[in-house]
Amino acid sequence: MSEVALLQIIGMCVIGVGIVILLFIKGMFLRVIGFVAMVLGAFSLIALSVPQMASLPPAVETFDLASVKSPDDLASIGQKIFFSKGQCALCHSIGPSESARCPDLNGIGAKLAPEFIYESLTQPQAYIYLDFRHDGVPKEYPARMPHIDKDPIGLSKQEIYSVIAFLQKMSGEPISVKVEDIMGPAQEQEKAASLKVAALSSIPSFEKTEKPSSVDR
Amino acid sequence: MKSVGHLQPVTKPLMDTMQNFFKYGSFLALLFLPALAMAAGGAETQAMSVEYRDVPGIGSRNLVWIVAQQHLLLAGFVLGVPIFAWVCEIVGWKTKEPRYDKLAKEFTKLLTSAYATTALFGGILLFLLIGLYPKLMAYLTDMFFPSFLVYCLLFLLETATLYMYWYGWDAMQGNKKAFHLFLGFLLNLFALGIMIVPNSWATFQASPVVVADGTAWERAWAAMQNPTWWPVNIHRLIANVVLGGFIVGAYAGVRYLLAVSREEREHYDWMGYVGNFIGVFGMLPLPFAGYWLMREVYQYNQQMGITLMGGFLAWLFILQAMLIGVLFLGANYYFWMGITYRIPGAESQYKKPVMAMLIVLLLCLGVWMTPHSLVASLEEARKMGGTHHPLLGVFGVMSAKMTVSNLMILVTFMSFIMYWRAGKQETAGWAKAAKAIMGALLVIAGIAVVVLGVWGYFVPAIIRINYFSVAQVLIVLFIMITFTPLTALLMKSAKTTTEMVWGKMPIRAGYSLVLNAVMVILLMSLMGYARSSSRVHWHIYGVMRDTSDYAYSPALGYAAAFMSLNTFVFCLIVAFIFWVATLGDKAKAQPLKGPTVGIPGHSAPAMAGGAPCPDEKLE
Repeated sequence: MSEVALLQIIGMCVIGVGIVILLFIKGMFLRVIGFVAMVLGAFSLIALSVPQMASLPPAVETFDLASVKSPDDLASIGQKIFFSKGQCALCHSIGPSESARCPDLNGIGAKLAPEFIYESLTQPQAYIYLDFRHDGVPKEYPARMPHIDKDPIGLSKQEIYSVIAFLQKMSGEPISVKVEDIMGPAQEQEKAASLKVAALSSIPSFEKTEKPSSVDR
Repeated sequence: MKSVGHLQPVTKPLMDTMQNFFKYGSFLALLFLPALAMAAGGAETQAMSVEYRDVPGIGSRNLVWIVAQQHLLLAGFVLGVPIFAWVCEIVGWKTKEPRYDKLAKEFTKLLTSAYATTALFGGILLFLLIGLYPKLMAYLTDMFFPSFLVYCLLFLLETATLYMYWYGWDAMQGNKKAFHLFLGFLLNLFALGIMIVPNSWATFQASPVVVADGTAWERAWAAMQNPTWWPVNIHRLIANVVLGGFIVGAYAGVRYLLAVSREEREHYDWMGYVGNFIGVFGMLPLPFAGYWLMREVYQYNQQMGITLMGGFLAWLFILQAMLIGVLFLGANYYFWMGITYRIPGAESQYKKPVMAMLIVLLLCLGVWMTPHSLVASLEEARKMGGTHHPLLGVFGVMSAKMTVSNLMILVTFMSFIMYWRAGKQETAGWAKAAKAIMGALLVIAGIAVVVLGVWGYFVPAIIRINYFSVAQVLIVLFIMITFTPLTALLMKSAKTTTEMVWGKMPIRAGYSLVLNAVMVILLMSLMGYARSSSRVHWHIYGVMRDTSDYAYSPALGYAAAFMSLNTFVFCLIVAFIFWVATLGDKAKAQPLKGPTVGIPGHSAPAMAGGAPCPDEKLE
């Protein structure tokens, strides 16, 4: 017997007891208890009649290195991450959208260097790209760009690279992220070091902002 | 579960005993709490290595769920009742009507035993959390420890004030009454503090903020000021007033049903009216506070908002609509019965408006309960052209639901105004003009709410949420704010054409008061589940992941069964508290002088609702 069926039987029994009390018991306090039991039993039965969905914790998504043979594979994985684990599409649109709370990412892969995109994802408050300054009526629900490599999203470096590959491909750019870049920890560290983008300050469209305070975890 | 080092020989047999014991009844687990707490806190090394402990049989999460729910409901009760009592005391002081003072005292008397029970469940909850979730509690303690001290201090102040307020009641009459009222104010002030401090811990779990380095006090203060703290504070404060009012109403309803003399019936009928009035008074602004809370949730994290409103919890809001709908119907029904039975002759005058209000309420409830997407087979979905019904789908969206919830508030408010005006004849020269203006304003407000609701379909969601929905709320608030003083002025000079008759209500009035209280308790349980489930698999959203076996939110049916159980247990506890608190009175009570009479319709089966016997005479 399933859990729902068992609970339904219990709910019906509770209602039945309530009905019996109301029909045959004269004591007013007990009648009130019977009435409350009927109400609660009915509530449970109604709740059991709607779709029963439990919220299960998500499986930990892993980056399947073996499946990546070409930059296009990387972009394909990046697209999945963009619309799922990365939660990018919750705020960003690809193309104009009035309801989007954050900048339109159409063509972003062509506009920005991958190194800068990487830093925007991992240190979002380090520099603000002035082209994304919002004009007009201020948005009531401004979303603050989260650190994408930290909880609750927590993308790995490889996953971030794949998202960058997707953004480049979507913008019609050749994918500059190489498959080798994501292959191993040693390369990963090297790549991360090379992405420190020391030369970013030379780009005129960047504005330095205050460093964010650290998150205490 | 790990045991380490020298503790093993001591704790192992104890834990084995506990495990065997739990097999025979999880409720008995409570008896072992001290042992559990010692096992948890007895050795730091062990606490550091253990993330979770489980309770065989019932499961740690379920046990915490039951105890936490009882503690929270009792806390709502002991925070709501002082507000109720204080308001009644002020009314009695201002109107010089001793029955209000008596009512306030009657409920303050409950507080001493209710506080003890609440603290008992709080202590059990604390031991359970320390024992079963040591890692989470260590984190929260590290973050919030200074606020724990503030909480303890507030408890001391609250207890001392309650003693003075209760034991000084008779001594502080006459010219000392103002000081007694001041004590009542302090009592509620400290109670507010006791509520908002732990709220910060719970809201931090749902909406943690960046906490920079600093002293322990600075860090605790920064963590307390998280985005949902004040919305939850306000929402809970209002909800506690509602809970207090409706529980008083339910108590009066039960006592009314049990009453044997006319005096008793009149007294408890009147008490039921006051309880229902305060419950409805709090209920009207409650949806606005809920709306603010949801706005903040969306603003903090859109994903969390979507989980609540459009994700696996979407159906929960259909249940919420049903409960609120029944509550609105119950509260209005009680008002309408009051017009019919307490004000002879008013029934025929208000029959048509009551019928119109009932129809509007039922229609609104129907819209509110329309799901956003339907459960349909593939074939059915194909025929409909999707999971949205071609006609009903229109009513399943937020624009429609916001509109009908505002209309239901308007109708309930008008029920109250109608009840206020029944049996009175306005004598002021400007009464006709005032009534015409109020009528016009009401019609314009109703139309404006509907127009904004329909318009909301054709604008982006962000415009609807930020402007249209807010405008709807402001329109309804405007009506409430203008009508209340205007009606008060009209009634001040009005001539009473029919005296209010107490104790004539049929037995279904008592049941409707009980029903309202059950609905409020279920609603609080349901929304507590929603708030907790919105964190999904996180203890602290985005910061500390739940890695236990219970890192999932159960389906609605299972959760509803728990809510029902919790509601039933809570009702029994409250009944016990009332019984204990009135034991002394019964012993002291003089033999009843009044004639023993039955409630109208008492002989009819309760399920049939009963009906007043036309021939029945009270004397």
